[in-house]
Amino acid sequence: MNAPVIELSGLTKTFRARRARSSGTFARLKDFVAPITEHVLAVDRVSFEITAGERVAFIGPNGAGKSTTLKVLSGILHPDAGHVSVLGFVPWQQRQALGYRIGTVFGQRSQLWHHLPARDTFELLGSVYELPRAQHRERLQALTRAFDLGPLLDKPVSQLSLGERMRAEVAASLLHRPQILFLDEPSIGLDVAAKSVLRDLLQRQSEQEGTTLLLTSHDTGDIERVCQRAIVVHGGRVVWDGSLQQLRRNYLGEKRVRLWSEREHLRFALPGVRVLSESPHFTQLAVQVNVTAVGAVVEHALRQGALSDLTIEDAPLDEVIEAFYRDTRTRQAS
Amino acid sequence: MKPFRKYWAFARVACGEARSHRGELYARGLFFALILAVFAALWRAVGEAGLPLAARPERLVWYLAVTEWVLLSAPLRHLEIQEDVRRGDVACQLCRPVAYPRALLAQCLGMLVVRASFLGVVAFSAAALYTRELPAWSALVLVVPFGLLAALVLAELYLILGLVAFWLRDATPLYWVCGKLTFILGGLMLPLELYPRWLQVLAACTPFPSLLAGPAGFLLHGATHVGALALHLVFWALALFGILEFVFWRATRVLQLSGG
Repeated sequence: MNAPVIELSGLTKTFRARRARSSGTFARLKDFVAPITEHVLAVDRVSFEITAGERVAFIGPNGAGKSTTLKVLSGILHPDAGHVSVLGFVPWQQRQALGYRIGTVFGQRSQLWHHLPARDTFELLGSVYELPRAQHRERLQALTRAFDLGPLLDKPVSQLSLGERMRAEVAASLLHRPQILFLDEPSIGLDVAAKSVLRDLLQRQSEQEGTTLLLTSHDTGDIERVCQRAIVVHGGRVVWDGSLQQLRRNYLGEKRVRLWSEREHLRFALPGVRVLSESPHFTQLAVQVNVTAVGAVVEHALRQGALSDLTIEDAPLDEVIEAFYRDTRTRQAS
Repeated sequence: MKPFRKYWAFARVACGEARSHRGELYARGLFFALILAVFAALWRAVGEAGLPLAARPERLVWYLAVTEWVLLSAPLRHLEIQEDVRRGDVACQLCRPVAYPRALLAQCLGMLVVRASFLGVVAFSAAALYTRELPAWSALVLVVPFGLLAALVLAELYLILGLVAFWLRDATPLYWVCGKLTFILGGLMLPLELYPRWLQVLAACTPFPSLLAGPAGFLLHGATHVGALALHLVFWALALFGILEFVFWRATRVLQLSGG
């Protein structure tokens, strides 16, 4: 068992936010003269550990506290309470020392100099991370090959497409071989092909160099393709921590069964089985496996006639997570 | 030397960035030449009308050329810091192993070198063209290093204003106040000797006279105040650097970034 590289215990962070009084001219005047500020709890006693080389998805609805947690872990924000250790450093107290050993990618922000070629930023980062020239050159060559940056390096960043820029952003974050890479929605705004390339690159990089990844994303494709474990936060609190497989099985417990039959219109009046779509020789079912086993569903189909093909898949992660959020909201409300 | 290498790299990249903004630089140069032309005509008219002036009109044009050169050369980084804070881009800067205020100052230095070089040529050429005379070389030799140091101190002031955006989100009103104080107390258009005594005393308590009237004063009074000006500029450079570091230290504690 690897030692944890990230340890959080009871991390709490609040923000001050202005609250408007009720509408009306007098209320607006009072807001202007004496605004009301209140504390908003963004992260509420979050605790977890991540070991070296793990690829973890940190997911939750908007405003759940994902980005705030990531910014505390990378030393940008100061928490109000709790113990945090990243590679043995307290991030907000040892921000610069930690900076040498972590990398960050914020999907909606850029670390590349907008009007200059990406190569200039890579040169700058080489100096910032104090890489010896030969090592910098060698590393840049390797990343250029891996991320297919050759034709892009000498173009001004402002002329790159979003997909090209994101490849350059991730490569820039990996220049100094960080032990941990924090990614905040790295695939936001990318097209399907660019997302796929980025996910492959991240996974390969982590496998080859043992880089620990902590990734927040609303795109379940990122999570499924890159990560092995998921930590789900809601309302600033951790509501799930386990493998993606467990999340699917233990939580929604639903399978997708697709059947191609020789007979037309199969019937499935079984408990826990819903017909999602059908055509004369095709039926797609959602099966609650804790109510009816998949085997029983297949047997039921075979009793009605021969099957030409069948597939059994887990429910899409999107649906699992959506159901999870819905359920968490209901539980919190009650 | 390693820590210096990284800040040197910031200065170099900022130099490239400033060079890539050619349009802005040319516009500044044009504006500068135009302002000098207007004031050259104005001082000449005032002189011909027999009204009293602090110095010969030609000297006053050279004075304005130097004060404007310092003012226009200082990079307005506060606007970028403000945008970075508003958009949350500052997050990318803060997780690097660098001292953010020093990196900003290094970037200012890089931009300053490009802007001051270009605008210096414009100032020198335009002033020489409008006045058809050159000041003493001994004065010009002093104006250049002191002017560059003054522009760097002014840039420090703008950086502090930029960091105030961590609290206010919009530092523009402060910039306007600071700009007006620089014009008035710095003696942008007229030497401070023409001001009432009480305003001269008030101005002397601020960094502004050493930023504009100080370097430009070499053209009016010769090298009479080299030591005093050097002391003033070094004092304000160090004091403002200390304030810059302190403001950043406080700013990181109140930082609120929009989420993703």
